[in-house]
Amino acid sequence: MDIRRMTAVNTAKAASWASRLLGKGGTTFSGKLAMKMDPSVLKDLAAQVRKKIFVTCGTNGKTTTNNLLCSMLEAQGYKVVCNRMGANMLEGVAAAFAGAADLAGNLDADYACIEIDEASAVKVFRYFKPDYMIITNLFRDQLDRYGEIDIIMDVLEKAIRMAPDMKIIVNGDDSLAAFMAQETGNPYVCYGISEKVVSGQENSREVREGRFCKNCGALLEYDFYHYSQMGVYHCPSCSFKRPAIQYDASNVSFGNGLSFDVSGRHLEANYRGFYNIYNILAVWSAVSEAQLPTDRFNEVLGSYKPQFGRNEVFRLGESRVLLNLAKNPAGFNQNIAAVLEDKTPKDLIIVINDNAQDGKDISWLWDVDFDSLSHESIRSITVSGIRALDMHLRLKYVGIKSTTSPDTASAIRQKLSEGCKNLYVLVNYTALYDAHKLLQEMEKKYEH
Amino acid sequence: MNIKIVHLYPDLLNLYGDRGNIQCMVMRCRWRGIDAQVKEYRLGDRVDFSDADIVLLGGGSDREQQIVCTKLQSIRSDFSAYVEDGGTVIAVCGGYQLLGHYYDTPDGRMEGLSLVDLYTQQGSPRLISNVILKNEEFPYEIVGFENHGGRTFIGDNKPFGTVAFGFGNNGEDGKEGVMYKNVIGTYLHGPLLPKNPHVCDRLIGTALERRFGSSQLEPLDDEDEKRANRYIVERFVKEEKQASDR
Repeated sequence: MDIRRMTAVNTAKAASWASRLLGKGGTTFSGKLAMKMDPSVLKDLAAQVRKKIFVTCGTNGKTTTNNLLCSMLEAQGYKVVCNRMGANMLEGVAAAFAGAADLAGNLDADYACIEIDEASAVKVFRYFKPDYMIITNLFRDQLDRYGEIDIIMDVLEKAIRMAPDMKIIVNGDDSLAAFMAQETGNPYVCYGISEKVVSGQENSREVREGRFCKNCGALLEYDFYHYSQMGVYHCPSCSFKRPAIQYDASNVSFGNGLSFDVSGRHLEANYRGFYNIYNILAVWSAVSEAQLPTDRFNEVLGSYKPQFGRNEVFRLGESRVLLNLAKNPAGFNQNIAAVLEDKTPKDLIIVINDNAQDGKDISWLWDVDFDSLSHESIRSITVSGIRALDMHLRLKYVGIKSTTSPDTASAIRQKLSEGCKNLYVLVNYTALYDAHKLLQEMEKKYEH
Repeated sequence: MNIKIVHLYPDLLNLYGDRGNIQCMVMRCRWRGIDAQVKEYRLGDRVDFSDADIVLLGGGSDREQQIVCTKLQSIRSDFSAYVEDGGTVIAVCGGYQLLGHYYDTPDGRMEGLSLVDLYTQQGSPRLISNVILKNEEFPYEIVGFENHGGRTFIGDNKPFGTVAFGFGNNGEDGKEGVMYKNVIGTYLHGPLLPKNPHVCDRLIGTALERRFGSSQLEPLDDEDEKRANRYIVERFVKEEKQASDR
């Protein structure tokens, strides 16, 4: 028995329990405490994972992908360590392991599924080297915190080189992620969609990252785009091209639910949003690479409850409210597309904050294609949050009227009483927790 | 009346919502019955400055800026003639640095356009902040967000504003941006123009003046813009005060 580790684990558990009691997300705090009491707690606990450690990195889709993978493993009867709540910096990862350990400071786990913030991977990999890393995509996000996307790529590449045996499972449709995976020299496999399924992308004004070949600087040529820089591409002047896709989705359909075939299997899920095809494909690839059974895959997809704020549905009396996190241009565009897949009348509330975790710089709002919100099915738009005035202005300059409401709770209440019973709430990061809590409380009230 | 807005290399220089600046100029023209057309030039295109009324040069990542910079020399003499003739230019972040003689980084020197007498040196750390500027030529404050590693020095040129909050050109001399003839260069994005309609109207005004000899702009209802501007000013002036009280 390691007394030091035991104390660290128990202190973290107590801190996490206490902060939950106080109604605060204390994951980071408890992880910090554990690492302070026993600096090797993360290393020791990770070493006790019996089979494999998966990590998920990338700008968007980390939490959904990672949690879905965890659910797949649990459905097979395995014990899994997972940072389900999405606390993905070093302290959050430590907290996940400490939280999963027993009171003697020992871990009883077959697998670990850990999402890691791209910039934190270099720190986390000092404590353990994962067996697999999923890279979902690379988009501009929080430029004020991380600087340019090139900086994120550099630091992520550095982390990958710390674990040369780790197999990378990468979205091959993303030229940036695919290039990076190839550069590292690590073993890698790709997932992607080789058939054209999204129409109208040629004329999209969407900001696309990585238009230029990372290898030689020439403008990449695309056969077609799925969204943003996702698509089928090659460099006209050097040998860089979309890599071979081992897990290729075909017969793709999306809209009201989504389905596709991969590796000779038909997968379907009742999710909205094209991007969820990639999230599911990533999980399929990871499970297949680790040679785990896939017989219950569809069943798990069907019963999977998304982490809060990821397409989360609330029933408030006769009204249906869908809460979704939208924190950068690529994510926001995908969310807007998902909102518009629902053709019935709806009200929309957009909440924009500019706290440190959101990015203090909100200029990214102008890279989102809000134009498409001038759609007949959208009956009203209310803007809220710390930067409601900026959001209001953003819509004004595409000729869309909105109402500003300083407080999200009253905006939601108002729409519930006078709206069309179908409400979408799109929020960025720090607005999510409060909006979720609020809707959950309201839902409970309606039930009683 | 119609004017032409030239957007240089939007596929490379588009880091901080620069599309918002274009959108703002277009809409503020349209609301006044002025037709504003946007012409985008890609790398390698021959840029026609003869029918340009406003030129926008945005910001990109260092890598993309490097790509632009190597190709930029071919348009230097036409661009310079346009500026000297009183052509209106708005250059933001990386675009602002490119207006000057050079940008020195540890990896070497990026040659600029030398349109304005200024230069930039890379420094550390990056200067990242909300910004509030004062300039008596404008009826109220100019607000925005800065995020730059470069330290820019403008010599005897007139700044775009004096820094009331934030870092400015180099974090040392209290100046931000540059104004030279009808050129405005600045680190401010956010994007710059939507919350600063007075700056946007100045650009439109100088463009109309040069093209049609008149710059009388019909006033617009700017309540929303002013409220958003005011919010930033009040919030960060308060923050500054609290910091100095401590």
